Amino acid sequence: MTDLPATCPRCRSTRIEVRSTSPVAGVWTVFGCATCLYAWRSTEPEENRNPDKYPAAFRLDPAQLPHLLVAPRIPPLRRR
Amino acid sequence: MRAYQDLREFLAVLEQERQLLRITESVALEPDVGAAACALTQLGESSPAIQFSNIAGYASARLVMNVHGSWPNHALALGLDKDAPLRDQFFAFVQRYQQYPGKLERVASAPWQEVVIDKDVNLYDLMPLFRVNRGDGGYFIDKACVISRDPDDWENDDVENVGVYRLQVKGRNRIGIQTVPQHDIAIHLAHAEERGEDLPVAIAVGNEPVITLMAATPMLYNQLEYKMAAVMQGAPYRIVKTAKGLDMPWGSEYVLEGRILARQREPEGPFGEFPGYYSGCHQYPVIEIDRVSHRRNPIYDSCYVGRPWTELDFLQAMTTSAPIFVQLNSAFPEVVAVNALYTHGLVVIVSTKTRYGGFAKAIGMRLLTTPHGLGYAKIVIVVDADVDPFDLKQVMWAVSVKVNPAGDVVILPNLSVNLLDPAGEPSGIVHKMIIDATTPIAPDIRGDYGEELDMPQRTDAWREKLAALVKELQK
Repeated sequence: MTDLPATCPRCRSTRIEVRSTSPVAGVWTVFGCATCLYAWRSTEPEENRNPDKYPAAFRLDPAQLPHLLVAPRIPPLRRR
Repeated sequence: MRAYQDLREFLAVLEQERQLLRITESVALEPDVGAAACALTQLGESSPAIQFSNIAGYASARLVMNVHGSWPNHALALGLDKDAPLRDQFFAFVQRYQQYPGKLERVASAPWQEVVIDKDVNLYDLMPLFRVNRGDGGYFIDKACVISRDPDDWENDDVENVGVYRLQVKGRNRIGIQTVPQHDIAIHLAHAEERGEDLPVAIAVGNEPVITLMAATPMLYNQLEYKMAAVMQGAPYRIVKTAKGLDMPWGSEYVLEGRILARQREPEGPFGEFPGYYSGCHQYPVIEIDRVSHRRNPIYDSCYVGRPWTELDFLQAMTTSAPIFVQLNSAFPEVVAVNALYTHGLVVIVSTKTRYGGFAKAIGMRLLTTPHGLGYAKIVIVVDADVDPFDLKQVMWAVSVKVNPAGDVVILPNLSVNLLDPAGEPSGIVHKMIIDATTPIAPDIRGDYGEELDMPQRTDAWREKLAALVKELQK
């Protein structure tokens, strides 16, 4: 249950990290994707854990990430 | 009027009023918690709050939802009778809103300082974070007050800001924040980023119910939410300063202190949002948390957001209606009440007296130019002063008989709307519509409006007598 998954369910990146484990040992592990920042718990319904079952509508291509809308925009630095 | 000191005092009142349901069986964070809170919203407009005390993976975590999620809970939050009709809740809210500003009571310590974690912060350990809806990109803190000051005007309390912004927990001490440009915190962040500095922020989780309502109210930039909370509670609002100088509610369960990292953006979202659609992913600012303080056995407070109606719609109900009313009424004292309950005011119903023919359409146009109207009000229905805008049966009667689409529907092309309105074309631009459902008066002499029906004599006396008898009958 707590083995590190091979890929991110959402973007299929292989940069997966353990974010935390349950305070009561052995109940769950929260994993996070270092690429798209999706997070999921080992005990969630399969559609949130398994890349093949992850709903198509919510999938992300890592190539899209730099093109997401930036909000709010980063203002120019003031002149010192 | 009542000044609840903290969330615990309010939960005790909800319990006493039979508006708090305790779930002691073991629940999984996903999908149980979101599912239960969603299901509650489908059980009508009197649903209780719900508290979970046996959460898989935690020894003693406590999680409450739906604290504001019904009209009785909303009324109790304002210190009104739990059966107070909507119209009464609206007028109580407006009457107090117009008393701004109230006083602050500064004290040196608070119960949330009982436990302090200032290294190796791990939010997943400290609070039962969970996925609200299946397509959410992670675990969101969605009902917290975020407090910030203006780096260019640091000592000015009136421009300190208390706002509810969605927060995506991305790591043990890393949080994404949605600061849409129209929000006050975006001004603070812009000033910090122009200076190349991080913006200190503090996040209050688990609060007495009024400050959460105030943090969701679109007030003026130089109005402080704590001073509005004081007039809503009828007592000075008690606050405590952090070491960085940010004012926090005395009664919070958790206080998270950190910084919005200057000039950084990261993927955030999606999150199921108030229009009943997911928001999509954006590059949003990031907070690093340095220190967490909390009460012993803290209570984590969260809100289900989904297709309306949910708890969020109660949070945004009077908090949206009252400011619009105050702004409209200051220009046109004929305006009697404003109902902006629907999807954060994408639809607004106004009741007004009419001076002369065409007046109601002018009221509708003025509403579109109020600050909230610019970004939300898309459909405005104007009804007569004797129609209760909070009673949709009356509103629909007015629309049924007082509207002739030939002359009562005005469509204004390509106006501004919130980016989250999925109808925008392109996003952020939409046509808006005013429906004049008032009775035409001279010189607008359209239609054949003779005598409107009234009530038989002595109906008022009979209503009072029968109400008591019916109550007894149904006891």
